[in-house]
Amino acid sequence: MPRNVTSQNNVIETSFCKMIEFDIEFNSFISEWRHCAYISNYLARTVSHNRPDSVLYSNLYSSAFNELLEVAFRTRHPAGVLACRVSRDGETDRIELTFPCTPEEQQFYEYAISQTQGAGAQERYLVSLSGDVAPSRDMVLLELAVDYNATLRLEAVDADTVTLVVDLPFGGLAN
Amino acid sequence: MSLFAHGPLTRFKAQYDPNNQEFSISGSVRPQTIEELAPSLALLKDSIDRVRGILYVNVKRLAQMNNTAFHAFARVIIDACRVRPDLKFVIITSSVVGWTTRKFGRLSHVEPTITVEQYDSAFYPGQSFLEEGGFIPILRTQTNMTWRHERAILPRHGMRSGITMADICCGIGDFAVLVQKEFQPSRIVALDHSKSSLAYARQIAADFDIRGIEYTYGDAAAMLLEDDQFDLVTCRHSLQIFNRPELILKELYRICKPGGRVYITNEKISHCLGEPRSETIQWTYNELSKLFAHFEMDLELGPKNRRCLVEAGFEDIRGESFMVTNLDGDPQEFADVVQSWEDTFAGEMAQQRGDRPEFIKRFRRGFQDHIFAALHPKGYAGWPIWVASGRKPL
Ligand SMILES: C[S@@+](CC[C@H](N)C(=O)[O-])C[C@H]1O[C@@H](n2cnc3c(N)ncnc32)[C@H](O)[C@@H]1O
Repeated sequence: MPRNVTSQNNVIETSFCKMIEFDIEFNSFISEWRHCAYISNYLARTVSHNRPDSVLYSNLYSSAFNELLEVAFRTRHPAGVLACRVSRDGETDRIELTFPCTPEEQQFYEYAISQTQGAGAQERYLVSLSGDVAPSRDMVLLELAVDYNATLRLEAVDADTVTLVVDLPFGGLAN
Repeated sequence: MSLFAHGPLTRFKAQYDPNNQEFSISGSVRPQTIEELAPSLALLKDSIDRVRGILYVNVKRLAQMNNTAFHAFARVIIDACRVRPDLKFVIITSSVVGWTTRKFGRLSHVEPTITVEQYDSAFYPGQSFLEEGGFIPILRTQTNMTWRHERAILPRHGMRSGITMADICCGIGDFAVLVQKEFQPSRIVALDHSKSSLAYARQIAADFDIRGIEYTYGDAAAMLLEDDQFDLVTCRHSLQIFNRPELILKELYRICKPGGRVYITNEKISHCLGEPRSETIQWTYNELSKLFAHFEMDLELGPKNRRCLVEAGFEDIRGESFMVTNLDGDPQEFADVVQSWEDTFAGEMAQQRGDRPEFIKRFRRGFQDHIFAALHPKGYAGWPIWVASGRKPL
């Protein structure tokens, strides 16, 4: 399914080491909901084997990653490419997900991500949890920050693509 | 009442048990839309309508749940709190699944009648004696003693190089290390529910630069490991300490590949023996068996291996037994192991049962005589083990 997968330990601009990178036609990605789970489980297993507790780690990682893929899936953009890069710096795993989206949606993501930052995030999450509306994509991002201690940031690549950069800090985790 | 939803990736099961007022959901729940969950949500609503007092929501074996599903279930529970203030909700999570306690824990901030309990210890009644701390060094000596026999036995039960294997209830992981050195499987997952044992195992692996063993925290009765993964699944000296070993076997069966094998070892402790002083030794080990039975552990399980495997659905059952003795190697090792049995079983464990001092004195005597036999220049001391394996049908 992924169009090209490379797995190597190049040092990229920061101290994050690239582990896996792939891209896939957005159209083919959104042709099946199950792709989210397939990709997240597969990648989770691949990056977890050298963590202290691979099974526990893989389960957590897959949960978080799957949410991100579902967010991208729901943009339902008819064209372009979904690109994913997974890298690691010590205890932190970084997921960079680049996908097509309209300028309005870019604004939406900017706002959603600003909501994940700062002290009020947990409060906001609880409010949305108790509210009556169905969960929306911004709530998913908020939840990653609140429940997984993820740090989220947005990189607008150009007018019609966006990159979500998510740092997951559960590397030292072991029971 | 129970519902199954099956597909290659969303495999989950929701059920309601009226006797325990417990709604449970397990597996992987990642729907695209809430509609896919309609039957399970209806079952939850229906459960809420039937209960009085407390509804237990059991998510111990919920491996995955996406936000769409989480919010759908949370919505039903939160709404119920508002219309049924008489009702309490207790959500039972497991420490084995990393995300559940935290995620479900948020609900108690929204509605105070929702509480979250992390189910952790007390898997089996005698657990505290064996899991933490003191038993570690002795497990190591025990494994060294059994390894002399098992290294020759294992190839008859499916062990060979290049296979993928799992050692469930791995303790301090030294069996996995020995297997790694001797047989070089391509992958070893070693799982236990004792944090201190796993910490020890990881430390040893780091100290000796042993790679390729994945030490994993988990509950053998509900593992996160996927189905049909391993060529060989081993579970040594452990089925005998669970009050419901069939639940563990079911999991061993699940993670084993079709055509792969599950290998178990168990004792029949009353058959430990020694010469001289055979009678006092025999008495003590008979009593030891009863002591374990008091804590719902069956240390006589060994000869029942075959039955267990047949009943769990295995075929091509192979069984054998071997006797660890004082003649195998250094008799002092044998003596050390028996001494630690005495310390734990005639110590804390007998005390907990409330045994009187006269009994404990006599109980200790047999262990001392077993040590005497082991170290005696003409003596013989034995500890028998029953091994069996079965193949999972294709
Ligand atoms: C008698 S020891 C056997 C250890 C090892 N297999 C050996 O032969 O030395 C039993 C092991 O089962 C583990 N255990 C107990 N309950 C468990 C559970 N629910 N899930 C996984 N492991 C468990 C204990 O922590 C302990 O390490």
